[in-house]
Amino acid sequence: MAVVVETKELLETVIASVVAGVGITVVFSVGIWGAARFADLSRAERPLAAAAAAAAAALAGLITAAAVVFGVVIMSSK
Amino acid sequence: MSSDVILVIVVATALAFDFTNGFHDTANVVATSISTGAARPQVAIGFASLLNFAGAFISISVAATVANDVVDAAVVTPTVVFAGLIGAIAWNLITWSFGLPSSSSHALIGGVVGSAVAAAGFNAVLADGLVGKVLIPAVIAPILALLVAGIGIGLVYRIVGKQRPGTVTRGFRYGQIISGGMLALAHGTNDAQKTMGVITLALVANGTLGANADPPLWVIVASATAIALGTYSGGWRIIRTTGTRIIKMDAAQGFSAQGAGAAVILASTHFGFPLSTTHVINGGVMGAGAGKRVSAVRWGVAGNIVTAWLLTLPAAAAIGAAAYGITAIFGDGALGPILVTLMSLSLIAAVFTRRSRQGAPVPAS
Repeated sequence: MAVVVETKELLETVIASVVAGVGITVVFSVGIWGAARFADLSRAERPLAAAAAAAAAALAGLITAAAVVFGVVIMSSK
Repeated sequence: MSSDVILVIVVATALAFDFTNGFHDTANVVATSISTGAARPQVAIGFASLLNFAGAFISISVAATVANDVVDAAVVTPTVVFAGLIGAIAWNLITWSFGLPSSSSHALIGGVVGSAVAAAGFNAVLADGLVGKVLIPAVIAPILALLVAGIGIGLVYRIVGKQRPGTVTRGFRYGQIISGGMLALAHGTNDAQKTMGVITLALVANGTLGANADPPLWVIVASATAIALGTYSGGWRIIRTTGTRIIKMDAAQGFSAQGAGAAVILASTHFGFPLSTTHVINGGVMGAGAGKRVSAVRWGVAGNIVTAWLLTLPAAAAIGAAAYGITAIFGDGALGPILVTLMSLSLIAAVFTRRSRQGAPVPAS
């Protein structure tokens, strides 16, 4: 009674979980960091740095949204 | 005629199991969002119910595993599936009654394996599928969720640790709308598919569907509806017990825990691994807790989960085998399943009476 361990699928599950779980958490955190810095830098009247922080926040938000949509599309494509 | 009656009983029992699965798991899915203040209970539960329903439609990989890779469909009859479901429901009720954190998913697979063995011997079990697609992922997934959440929260604190707490908390509360939604979607897709798989197995056994058939649309819709209604119904009980049962964590931890749980469940679902969503979500919560302070985690809960995990498969299998044995006494007709259903309803009434005398029930999750 040979037992087949689905090594490839398990490994892909681990990689996908780490990339998606840690990746989205980090990207979203960068978004919050950007939003927080934007507020602080705006108060400090440093418009250029504030704009850069806002751009980082917006980009992080877009990547998060794209990752969620991508994940659902991948799920429903099988 | 008799086989059609049995099939109707099997489908009704499977949908009842699906309902109780949603009912049990509401706490897991919405607790984090409620405890961090990311969403009001009514909103969190309504949102989770809707996404449970939607989640059931995005994949059928897990349903295929349950229907084709755990037991040999050629030796399975609708009565075997029925007895397996009784094993799962009975074990869920027993553990719920004693407040043990058992897994509905493991109970379902254990019940079906036990009844198949009782009906056709150990050759009925597809060991490759059971070990490779159920047992090994069952061990790996909660540990993976724990590590992903732990690494995630460690990085979060490094990135936002020096920012204003109010802004950070507000941001992660908004984030929890996404992570909580993804968790509910993941829960719906993995758990509802187990019911779809069992009903499909019964339909194949009855000759209604061909071997290796996909679940028909009505099975998907019925399973999605049952788990969503269960989640919605279970939620109102959780609202009353929220204050005492939910572990307190900050919004960033909630986001990491939910994100890790959703990522692990969705990735596993894609490859057709039928997980215990309860264990994965608890793994994520413990990882997020340990990432901040190891002593903040109630490690005794982890011990209870391991104990329940070790007990659930064999116990549900034993009850499933016994249910099949009782059913078989009355022959191949519908009398056996009808009598066992009546006995099960008596057990349900007894358990609820016992719990109501003891006070508020503890979600067995």
